[in-house]
Amino acid sequence: MHHEEVFTNRNVTESSAYYYVDIESYPTTGWDKFKQVVRRTFSGELFIGLWVVMREMIKFDIHTVQYPKEKLPLGPRYRAVHKLLRLWESGYERCIGCGLCEKICISDCIRMDTRIDENSRKEVTEYSINLGRCIFCGYCAEVCPELAIVHGPRYENASEQRAHFVIKDDMLTPLDLLKAGAQEEYPGFGAIIPGSDDAVKKTPLAY
Amino acid sequence: MINFTINGQNVTALKGETILQAARKAGFYIPTMCYLEKTTPCASCRLCVVETDKTDGFILSCQTPPTEGLAVTIDSDALKTERTNIMRLYNVNHPLECGVCDKSGACDLQNKTLEFGISSQHFSAKEQHRTIEHWGLINYDPSLCILCEKCVHVCNEIIGDDAIELKFGGYKSSVIPKNSDTLDCTFCGECIAVCPVGALVSSNFQYSANAWELTQIPATCAHCSAGCALTYEVRHTSNTVGAIPKIYRVTNDFEHTTLCGAGRFGFDFNVNGTKDPKMFAKAVAAIQSATAIRFSSLITNEEALILQKLKEKFGFKLYNEEARAYQQFMNAYGSMCGKTGCGGTLEAIKQSDAVILLGGRISSDNPAVRYAVTTAARHRGAKVMYMHPLEDELLQNVVTQYVKYEVGTEEGVVAMLAKTLLEGCDLSNEIREFLDELDEGYLCAESNVGDEEFSRIAKSSLRAKQKTLVIGSDLLSHKRAENIARLCALIEMYTDFSIVVVAPSVNTVGVSLICELDTDIGGANIVGYNAEGDFTMGSLGNPELLLPSLNSQEGTFVSMNAQVLPTNVAVGFDGYTLNDIANALGLNAQYTIDYTPQLPRDKGFNGTPFDDLGNFYTALGEDRRGYILKNTDVEINGVLEEINDLPEFNGTVVYRCNPINQFNGYTAQTKQLEKDATLRGSTQFAAAAKIADGDKIRIEFAKGVQERVFVIDSTLKGTVALVPTYDVALGSLGEQYRFEKVKIIKMGSES
Ligand code: SF4
Ligand code: SF4
Ligand code: SF4
Ligand code: SF4
Ligand code: SF4
Ligand code: FES
Repeated sequence: MHHEEVFTNRNVTESSAYYYVDIESYPTTGWDKFKQVVRRTFSGELFIGLWVVMREMIKFDIHTVQYPKEKLPLGPRYRAVHKLLRLWESGYERCIGCGLCEKICISDCIRMDTRIDENSRKEVTEYSINLGRCIFCGYCAEVCPELAIVHGPRYENASEQRAHFVIKDDMLTPLDLLKAGAQEEYPGFGAIIPGSDDAVKKTPLAY
Repeated sequence: MINFTINGQNVTALKGETILQAARKAGFYIPTMCYLEKTTPCASCRLCVVETDKTDGFILSCQTPPTEGLAVTIDSDALKTERTNIMRLYNVNHPLECGVCDKSGACDLQNKTLEFGISSQHFSAKEQHRTIEHWGLINYDPSLCILCEKCVHVCNEIIGDDAIELKFGGYKSSVIPKNSDTLDCTFCGECIAVCPVGALVSSNFQYSANAWELTQIPATCAHCSAGCALTYEVRHTSNTVGAIPKIYRVTNDFEHTTLCGAGRFGFDFNVNGTKDPKMFAKAVAAIQSATAIRFSSLITNEEALILQKLKEKFGFKLYNEEARAYQQFMNAYGSMCGKTGCGGTLEAIKQSDAVILLGGRISSDNPAVRYAVTTAARHRGAKVMYMHPLEDELLQNVVTQYVKYEVGTEEGVVAMLAKTLLEGCDLSNEIREFLDELDEGYLCAESNVGDEEFSRIAKSSLRAKQKTLVIGSDLLSHKRAENIARLCALIEMYTDFSIVVVAPSVNTVGVSLICELDTDIGGANIVGYNAEGDFTMGSLGNPELLLPSLNSQEGTFVSMNAQVLPTNVAVGFDGYTLNDIANALGLNAQYTIDYTPQLPRDKGFNGTPFDDLGNFYTALGEDRRGYILKNTDVEINGVLEEINDLPEFNGTVVYRCNPINQFNGYTAQTKQLEKDATLRGSTQFAAAAKIADGDKIRIEFAKGVQERVFVIDSTLKGTVALVPTYDVALGSLGEQYRFEKVKIIKMGSES
């Protein structure tokens, strides 16, 4: 039985930028279909296309992005190769080694190793992501309680092998970049929701 | 039986059961934070509060037994409010460090905080300065401690070390070592196990892995004959070292079981093997031309059966002196009472009101027995009588009567004990005559145990309802072991003492049942399996062919409780196994565990296949591990032998006795366990042997020489020193009588 899904207008409102596209209905009889083919073949639309290309070529106003010299700007929620960030003030690694990213990772491609350091603190000694497996879902960035692992904008990760690892040193903000103020905060997955500060309740300290 | 109701539903409780226990049995949930099934109630958390129709206000269900007809409510609104408030208090200033805490994911506080929906702190309290304590294998973080007191209870009531206590000081309270600046205990790590939060943790494990990353593999401890249930927790190592599987820690079902330090911290004894066909061929050839295979009892039942089958096929001999001593002892025992096994178990010791410990240094030989005795003493006020030539400081807290006898006089002591305990029993004429004819004066004089000491033992045990006699391994390897066994059998037959024999090694019992053992007369072409030989194989002491260690094998052991216990592969092994060798020699089994159902039925095995053996305790504590061997009947043809002269041991005598948490070649190679290999003696011994603390010495035994350092141990008295064996003998103690007169020479002084 043919099932027709009822359209529920979830996103499309008067004020939104969405509008209905006017699509003429498809031909149903053989004769109508034949007429459509003949019309399309001889209407000369092909030459319209060719003319557009020609016109733009001789105008020398080219819009092509000169990749890899140029790159398109990416939206903040774009999810590409991960970065591990540092704390601005102290320069310490933000990652506390809680292991939540490793646990949540849907393709099981994060592996880390931790130990107890001389000050009885947990230290992350190793952190690797197998980009060959990663599906860039963003779960790791979202679960991270420390805003330590984020998705950066680097999307080139061509490799000769299917397994392709990035390790901690590749992802961690170098200290000189941090000092130069060049560490970027990513407003994408896992970032603090606007207004979070107001939602924090203070612990009573009335003693 | 007491009938009462919980939330209107009829529930029955046994006499002595608390409301909480009855509720749990009936499937009701009462939240608790400080409850531990195996100790007396800590009663510190108050989370288990309930209401009844006969009391005003709340009562603690964990320590209150129900009365007939009582109506208990366990989940009224008032109770919920009370419990929620308690949880709020627990969370006051609790560090927000679940992200790094070892306990995260398995933390009672985390779970209950979520259960009660505590999301913010309403109370305030001044933050205290607290420092993390490093106590060797254990780290303690007082700021995570919720002062539930479980650790203190378990240390005192089950272990018997009594090494920690609570320092009260309101909000400043914390757990501290008792009467000492730092923790000085036997490091069983049971406090770590019971701690509901991340306050007490293993210093070796801390911050190295998270609870949810570890694969849990239920197994049986491979260090002593108690066969404790444990769980190997395995994960891959870091990428830089190849991400290979590794045992990260050992845990236990701490509500119902207890581990000693060797089981808990001595887990890293597995070896890496590769398949080397040349060496394999050499091993096969060596066995084909062997006159004997010498092996230790660090072996599974299945492998023991393989050896027995190979023996039948090739006609070589099987040497295992330690298991043979046990076998002979048990045969002699059986020839008297007609049974293959003794009646006692570790569980029976815990339920006893009188325990006699005879002929063994229990606290290092078999910690599980020590814990069972401690439990009996603490929970039942049991009278504990310790009979041994050496006093044991670790038993001081529980022993009510220490009886010192002279080294070597065990036969006389057992005879006198039998005579004392059998008084007034209805005996056959022969036995009556035998006992009457004992030369009491001589036996007492030689053993140096007075009449009054025996009568005190009799008096203590007279009033007891449940009694256990624990036979240590000194007696098994004694020259007169068989007569001693027959005398012990008399005690079990005619009195209400049940007997527990402390087998010296992991699977001594299994080996003694499965293998026909021969007297080790040495000879040429001996193959050693975890033992000395002309061709050696195994996982101990640089063998020529590496075979998997006991934590890389599946199979079964027989514990001293006569229970067949399964163990599993914690980390894999890539080389050959004994089964491969056996297959090359004409036996046929795909896996070693194919032999499990073939274990001899006439010895009490019941033929259950390996995969059908359980290895767990139920939530209510019922033991579902393996099965109990059937105690079969044997012919009664034993005759008591007359006791002639008791041997005398004068001069410098040493006692083979391992330090705490050391047992064998496996424990000797673990990273965390202390490896004290010194000869320890009292100042009196030092004076007699003319050596001083710290001296390098050479000990000349009848067989072999050892070089060691002598250390004065202030806890020891008398003229016998303790010499370890775990670092020299691959298998265990118990191949020969544990006391020996030796010559001790100070090194550098000989001319
Ligand atoms: S983006 Fe997704 S798949 Fe990739 S590492 Fe993170 S959790 Fe794993
Ligand atoms: S979730 Fe964040 S803090 Fe936790 S281990 Fe991953 S990166 Fe580190
Ligand atoms: S003890 Fe429990 S609640 Fe406290 S930090 Fe550790 S995991 Fe979290
Ligand atoms: S250390 Fe752990 S077990 Fe001991 S009192 Fe504190 S929370 Fe309880
Ligand atoms: S060594 Fe013995 S007492 Fe200790 S855990 Fe192992 S089996 Fe139990
Ligand atoms: S369980 Fe009863 S007080 Fe804690």
